[in-house]
Amino acid sequence: MISYLVFFLIFTLIFSVAVLGLNLQWGFAGLFNAGVVGFMAVGAYTTAILIGPPNDSVIGGFSLPFPIALAGGMVASGIAAWIVAKATIRLRHEYLAVATFGIALSIQIIAVNMPWLTGGTLGIIGVPKPLQGQFESVFNYNVFFLIMMIVLVAAIYNALQAIMQSPWGRALKSIRENEDAAAALGKDIDKFRIEAFVLGCMLMGMAGGLFTVFIGYVSPTDFEPTVTFQVWTMLILGGSANNRGAVAGAIIVWAIWTFSGWAIASFAPPTLQAQGGGIQVMLIGFLLVATLLLRPRGLIGEEVRISRHVGSD
Amino acid sequence: MFLKSLTTGAAALLAGLALTGTASAQDCPIKIGSIYPTSGPMGLVGERIAKTTQFAVEVMNEAGGVKGCEVELMLRDTQGDPKVGVDAAKNLVDVEGVPVLLGAVSSGVSLPVLTSVAVPSNVVQISCCSSSPSFTALAQDGGTDGFWFRTYATSRTQAAVGAKITMDQGYKNTAVIYVNTDFGVNAAEQYKKDLEALGGTVTAMVPYAEKQQSYRAEVSAALDSNPDSLYLVAFPVDGATLTREWISLGGTKNLVVNNSLRSTDYLEAVGFEHLDQVVGYDASQPRGIQAVSDFDAMFQAKFDGPPDGPGLHSSFDAAIVSMLAMEAADELTGAAIREKIRAVTDPAGKEVGPTVEGLQMAKELLAAGETIRYVGATGPLQFDVNGDVNAPKLIWKFNEEASEEVGYLSLEEIDALVRELDG
Repeated sequence: MISYLVFFLIFTLIFSVAVLGLNLQWGFAGLFNAGVVGFMAVGAYTTAILIGPPNDSVIGGFSLPFPIALAGGMVASGIAAWIVAKATIRLRHEYLAVATFGIALSIQIIAVNMPWLTGGTLGIIGVPKPLQGQFESVFNYNVFFLIMMIVLVAAIYNALQAIMQSPWGRALKSIRENEDAAAALGKDIDKFRIEAFVLGCMLMGMAGGLFTVFIGYVSPTDFEPTVTFQVWTMLILGGSANNRGAVAGAIIVWAIWTFSGWAIASFAPPTLQAQGGGIQVMLIGFLLVATLLLRPRGLIGEEVRISRHVGSD
Repeated sequence: MFLKSLTTGAAALLAGLALTGTASAQDCPIKIGSIYPTSGPMGLVGERIAKTTQFAVEVMNEAGGVKGCEVELMLRDTQGDPKVGVDAAKNLVDVEGVPVLLGAVSSGVSLPVLTSVAVPSNVVQISCCSSSPSFTALAQDGGTDGFWFRTYATSRTQAAVGAKITMDQGYKNTAVIYVNTDFGVNAAEQYKKDLEALGGTVTAMVPYAEKQQSYRAEVSAALDSNPDSLYLVAFPVDGATLTREWISLGGTKNLVVNNSLRSTDYLEAVGFEHLDQVVGYDASQPRGIQAVSDFDAMFQAKFDGPPDGPGLHSSFDAAIVSMLAMEAADELTGAAIREKIRAVTDPAGKEVGPTVEGLQMAKELLAAGETIRYVGATGPLQFDVNGDVNAPKLIWKFNEEASEEVGYLSLEEIDALVRELDG
């Protein structure tokens, strides 16, 4: 039981890294990125190639230490995001969504069709887990991984909180609220938007890399468009523009997603078991809609902030 | 603050879960886990596989269950999503305490489950349907610790038979068009190796992406290499589009095709006048084996229809083999069950069938300390060191209404062919 819980929390915390990245883009900068999974894929494959042992069929096998490989994945995602941002940053709202959605699909198709780089449809097997040899049992290792994830997420969370309090964060919010006003104040809007987009995508790439090393395998099946939908659901349900909401959303949505399956397997009568998948999908949909109807701004919405200069004489 | 809310959340979850309690493996009923895609794109296929697996458990329970206990199947949906599948598997292993996992269907789900759940937790995993050679490669590298088995023949033998048919037809220069999935890539690459080993020539290797309106570019690329024949690895809808364009752009009617195109949909969509030269292969149930017809009859009686569909025979056998191994094992741990999988599929053992009587006999023999050879819905199963199995093949052609069998390769003939090809 405890060991499953540890496993579950590792999953949700990895998700929450991507959700925090999306929150930076959507919650704070108002960028509608519908291609989350594409940047996770870039980070995942880059990390796998950098950390992996030599392999006949795929280039790479650099066997680099985990932190360097993970950072490499983030940089690759950042570069991909910068190229995408340069091309699309003038697009607004739904237009940006359509463009990024297409880019994510393209990235998956590239992963399928470049076997020398990504292993193609077979994926890359045998991605080593960092420091695995140092632990006697799987459970101990997972506890270590969970502690690492808690530290990592806490660090990212604190960094994002600090950034949002900074002048840069305030400028982002002002752009989200009213671009013209921000421009009139002399803010370089495109520059801020590109920076937020790249930074958010680097976090998504990090989440992809973390998934890959934790699972030990990466293939294009991991990067179906559903993942983008999952990450978005986590953010909207948790409460966009609130980093605590982003982390809470990751935990709650993944809990709904998986515990509904467990509940059906445990309580549904045997004759209905084979239809359990369908029931589970309906249950997920119902819980998500119910939560949004009851808490339209998410579980923890954006904190209302009023300048301390307002109303003071 | 943040850390605190995180730990509070974890504690709340823990408290909620503690209420449900855990079951240790030795209690009755004995649980086995299965992870199949009962929703999502593979939902229709997965649901029938799940029902067949449940049927296998019912048959075993009728024969007296395992170690005097009823067996309970814990079925979880993967939604065809690797992360959902991994989570479901981990939940089954850690919370329900299952020592065996049946599934998944797609290799893209089975592999992460194997590497991140089954192997680290020492749990036996048996898949009905994953055909990727990555599993064999992983096993050869020692990455499966012997916990991986599959009751579905790998694409290795399919390619060998395809190459043999091509040579038997007397084709000299063959172009290959294949679906760009792990299934298609493996079949095509292995076919190329095998055909060249048999003295043939592959003129072009052209992958195609699924569900496109037109494959003119792919077909032209293959035709540019001036082939006298085409090896096509495709599924019926796209396969029909490809074949029509191939013929209309001037390709020959000399086609060798994979098992998925043995379909009346394909025949009707293209038309028999273009397909009269087509030769294909398919996995076959072994001939003249009582167990196979017994299973077909049992299935017919239970579901009021024949067991036609992917993964039905192989998922039934995956479930039965795992339960027999549990019966034979000293204790219900993955490691103990792993050791017994081969003791219940021992070629030197006494043959037992998939019926209630057959399984009762199997239990008696195991109780007497003998080894048995389970001959099931897919015939006699024999796992090699990597956990792979083999199956006989049939060769077919189309007539005006449907496909008809024109040849049969027994397990022995397939083994001899593969040995010849692999040197």
